[in-house]
Amino acid sequence: MHRDALPHDDDPWQVDGVRLASRFLLGTAGYPSPQVLREAIAASGTQVVTVGLKRQLAAGGDNGFVAIVREALAERGARLLPNTAGCRSAREAIELAMMARELYGTAWLKLEVVGDEHTLQPDPVELVEAARTLVREGFVVWPYCTDDLVTCRRLLDAGCAVLMPWGAPIGSGQGLLNPYALRTLRERLPDATLIVDAGLGAPSHAAQALEMGYDAVLLNSAVAQARDPVRMATAFRRAVEAGRGAWRAGVMARQDFAVASTPVAGHPFLIGGAP
Amino acid sequence: MNATATITVLLDGTPRELPEGTTLAVLVAELGHAPGAVGTAVNGRFVARAQRDEHRLASGDAVLFFQAIVGG
Repeated sequence: MHRDALPHDDDPWQVDGVRLASRFLLGTAGYPSPQVLREAIAASGTQVVTVGLKRQLAAGGDNGFVAIVREALAERGARLLPNTAGCRSAREAIELAMMARELYGTAWLKLEVVGDEHTLQPDPVELVEAARTLVREGFVVWPYCTDDLVTCRRLLDAGCAVLMPWGAPIGSGQGLLNPYALRTLRERLPDATLIVDAGLGAPSHAAQALEMGYDAVLLNSAVAQARDPVRMATAFRRAVEAGRGAWRAGVMARQDFAVASTPVAGHPFLIGGAP
Repeated sequence: MNATATITVLLDGTPRELPEGTTLAVLVAELGHAPGAVGTAVNGRFVARAQRDEHRLASGDAVLFFQAIVGG
């Protein structure tokens, strides 16, 4: 196990009464092998990993990935966050959520309801409807949403435990495409737990999100599709810690003009002025 | 000789003939799945594991099985 991958517990956050030290949530799809996935989980220091459900075809199987995830989590005491990826309607997401709760034994749910096949943008109307029903059914709902403030408010009103606005389309690696909208969410929803989910590509994107005051990030492709996923998981872990540290330290305000850092009053000038 | 009455369900989109009165639990077992290893839905509605014993399938039912997989 990576010794320095154990999350520091001096700055925890919590969801559903569960205290979490790591602000790095990791997806489990698309890794080159189960062993690489296992090592990436360890290197990331993550305490929450996402998993999914799929229709079981005749020759279906997952080549041992899920078993590896369960073993890795048992070793680390981490938790599963099942998703409703692929659902196109509130009804579909609700049915899949019920199945996920039974199969995985957790009420935690990453709620996804897709509204557009090209961008995989969440459908805000179906998402809010599904969230309302699932919260009533006892789920702890983590909705994957857009960065629309009004939709986010509706999700909080519906009882969602956190909000997970996108940085960019899933798997695109483009980073934070609309930092203004994300900053607005942070400012207008100061008490909400906010997690940037989707579209992160580089550790600097994660650092940017945490510097903005977001509570955590969730990413998958950026690690799984790296040339060296394990090394990238470490890089992201450090970036998340750096961004959080910066937020706590207080990043200096931006200026439109230069402000000399070296004091110049009283310094002699070589040309002009009194000798 | 009495012929056994049968029904035809769609199992993941493929027609499958079953004895009339087959329950979802029996179908899960017949396909070799441990009850806790799959999630089940009939006609788009989730059927909990505890209800599979009482859930009799009917001709035309669309049955889907789901399994745990990795995901983002």
